[in-house]
Amino acid sequence: MKKAFTIIILISIFLLFYFLQANFFSWFTIAGVKPNIFIILVLFISLFAGLKIGIPFAIIIGLFLDLMVGKNIGTSAIMFAVIAFIGSYFDKNFSKESKLTMMLMVIGSTCVFEIGSYVLQIFQLSIYVEILPFLNILWKEVLYNTILTIILYPIMQKLGYKIEELFKQQAILTRYF
Amino acid sequence: MLKNKKTSKMGIIITILILIIIVILSNIKIKDVTYVENELGLLVMPIQNGLTYLKNWISGNHTFFTNINNLQEENKELKKKNSELEQMLRELEIIKSENTTLKEYVNLKDKYTDYETKPAYVIQKDISNYGDTIIINIGSNDGIDVNMPVISDQGLVGHIISVTSTTAKVQTIVDTASTISCVITTSRDMMIARGTMEQDSMLKATFIPTQATILEGDKVETSGLGGIYPKGIHIGTIKKVVNTKNITDRYATIETAVDFAKLETVLVITN
Repeated sequence: MKKAFTIIILISIFLLFYFLQANFFSWFTIAGVKPNIFIILVLFISLFAGLKIGIPFAIIIGLFLDLMVGKNIGTSAIMFAVIAFIGSYFDKNFSKESKLTMMLMVIGSTCVFEIGSYVLQIFQLSIYVEILPFLNILWKEVLYNTILTIILYPIMQKLGYKIEELFKQQAILTRYF
Repeated sequence: MLKNKKTSKMGIIITILILIIIVILSNIKIKDVTYVENELGLLVMPIQNGLTYLKNWISGNHTFFTNINNLQEENKELKKKNSELEQMLRELEIIKSENTTLKEYVNLKDKYTDYETKPAYVIQKDISNYGDTIIINIGSNDGIDVNMPVISDQGLVGHIISVTSTTAKVQTIVDTASTISCVITTSRDMMIARGTMEQDSMLKATFIPTQATILEGDKVETSGLGGIYPKGIHIGTIKKVVNTKNITDRYATIETAVDFAKLETVLVITN
């Protein structure tokens, strides 16, 4: 029951993020560049809820975005699944206690997601390769995502440990004993 | 000696206390002490009113106090009228914006009389930084289908790439995956224009014929080739021509006629 309730909350957070990204962040930009708050969300879920919840969630979010705003189906779904994998790897190897570690995780994930999506789109849509303009947008997006992580970190940590307690009781035991 | 020491200590303490009080008082804003002002006003104002009445009576203006009640009532009525007028103003503003939108539609229809069109609102712009798709508020229920061209009163916007019953997704011409066959209006030289990541309202024109003469300011329109866009729809103007060592590699940048940052209303060509 509690798990189902938590999943409903996560879906609600995703919808909230969707409307934020589509409306608020379309004008609240850094030099015309928007953040990608879905990367932070997917990373957060895979870090705290584990791979079993993270992967399906990442794929559903990706497919939803591909259908709603994408030019082709699958790109976001694949890349969000990769982020979920990276999240679970980070969870095993790094501490979530440190704000700096979380920031570095978001930086890494944003780079992997955007570069991966761009490469996939080059092959799928035969788009013209523009490396410098792409990197110019990417560093601003990474910066924006990092700033948002700093702001959201306290809430993420609080909510995250509650989710972790619910979905990965054994993982907590192995960490402390 | 002892007494003197005690007195000096007390002096220091009193000085410090006075200093603290002065600092506190100097930092208090007037608005924070309005209650003090009120209390003082209660004490002083009746006397001041009496004196004013006396002064006015002497100068023949003794109706001052009887007028206060009238003024208060008048003030109430004016406030009521003001709020009614504000409400009317808001309604007028809504009507004005509706009128502007309808005028845009009329202009659009007049401009492209050869085409059957359906007007639509842009309800969402791309959420990512690397693409330029928009979502409009009409779909298959309104007869919209994939590959239909989308225009605005300034020029070409893009084409429909997917449709739901109530919405449609439009790939704009400035999207990085978009490619259009176009011609220069005057010289009829053909080229290919594609969206770039660098700027929002800019296209990169390539495959320019070696014998073609392109000048800055030349108008560019659709060629009609490719099967999606009809012939003769305005795209934009040549902003810059970049000549390279090899003439076949030269390219030009086209400034789109449509300002995609401010795009709100569009027309979908249905025939």
